[in-house]
Amino acid sequence: MLRNITIGQYMARDSIIHNLDPRIKIVITIMMITALFFIDTFSGYGLFFLSVLVIIYLSRIPLIRIIRGLKPVLFLVLLTLILHIFFTRGGEVIWQWGFISIEAEGLYTGLFMVTRIILLIMFTSLLTLTTSPLELTNGIEYLLSPLKRVGVPASELAMMMTIALRFIPTLLEEADKIMKAQMARGADFESGNLVKRARNLIPLLVPLFISAFRRADDLALAMESRCYHGGEGRTRLHELKVRAGDFIALALALLLCVAFIYF
Amino acid sequence: MSKQKKKITDIRSINLMALFAALTAIGAFIRIPLPYVPITLQTIFVLLAGVLLGKRRAALSQLIYLVIGLSGVPIFTEGGGPGYIFKPSFGYLLAFVVAAYFTGLLTENRPINYRNIFLASTTGVLITYIIGVPYLYLILTKVSGVELGFLDTLKAGMIPFLPGDLLKILIVTIITPRVYTPLKKYL
Repeated sequence: MLRNITIGQYMARDSIIHNLDPRIKIVITIMMITALFFIDTFSGYGLFFLSVLVIIYLSRIPLIRIIRGLKPVLFLVLLTLILHIFFTRGGEVIWQWGFISIEAEGLYTGLFMVTRIILLIMFTSLLTLTTSPLELTNGIEYLLSPLKRVGVPASELAMMMTIALRFIPTLLEEADKIMKAQMARGADFESGNLVKRARNLIPLLVPLFISAFRRADDLALAMESRCYHGGEGRTRLHELKVRAGDFIALALALLLCVAFIYF
Repeated sequence: MSKQKKKITDIRSINLMALFAALTAIGAFIRIPLPYVPITLQTIFVLLAGVLLGKRRAALSQLIYLVIGLSGVPIFTEGGGPGYIFKPSFGYLLAFVVAAYFTGLLTENRPINYRNIFLASTTGVLITYIIGVPYLYLILTKVSGVELGFLDTLKAGMIPFLPGDLLKILIVTIITPRVYTPLKKYL
């Protein structure tokens, strides 16, 4: 039950979008999302949607994957739409039945908000579908590095993110194993009153904690023996380099953002 | 180790913080069936981070959890990605950072006993509501543009979770004294 969670929805492909510098991709994503909130016409949304479609095409990611990414917000989308349609008042009455009526303003605002949510999710899932978690943490580290001057430990933060990512599947497996082992010994996680349930979790949590801490300590020791000493003077196997293509992408994104707002 | 303000990014702390970020992440996936609202173990790990790591490291560990999730790795209950900020329930996640900090603040330099742990974790849980419910309200009214009373938000965003959270406070209270001694040498 715990295993079928895939960490990272990254899809490896060889495309122009995948090969962009992760830093540039993060910056572009932030720009586009900010611009999205300034758009106040449907034609602006249309242009945004069009550019999302072009990026999807360029990234060679099947459209169905992006659409599947919308599933978690489906509820929010429907709720927003329904509440607006029935409760926002104003404009002419489009449809009436008894005391229930749909008015133009409600329909318009509802569709508008829903479009915004959908576009937002589509664009952000593009970033993670085309950028591996490792590239992302690297990019974040670089983008945060100016903050080192004011005492933000940027490279340590990136290191912690990387380690945490590595820990997640291991801990999941561990938790799964312990749960099964304790169930085989007659542990019951699903019945009893509150206090009893709380007590029943002890045989899961205590071993999980002890083994997790031991693992973290082992890793700390291993890092220490390999002379890990933070980000200062660190060299990398894959240096991030901003190429001409990255600048072109950034310039295009800037142009688009201006276009969205004035459309 | 000295108790004064030491650097919080030594190798051991880096690993412990990463560990708790990962624990909070897997906590979202371990569900305990409870009538009406199933609970996840997340809050338990948030509170335990506070108790075991102390306020600063605990808050940082939860911040890392947030950043990983926001950068798109699906470790929140319903996925991940920067768009999650606009989900009404994001406030509860944001509150983890503050809750871990205050739980740590209330247990640091105090004896580990049932009473102290209980008080600290109750405070932690209250903080998740203090931040989570207004956030829920804000997103629903401002971003989704829904007309909603604050009382209704409270009804939807707090009451259903109370039994589960009481259970979590109990678990943390029972468990901490048991794990603290064997784990002390790693902290």
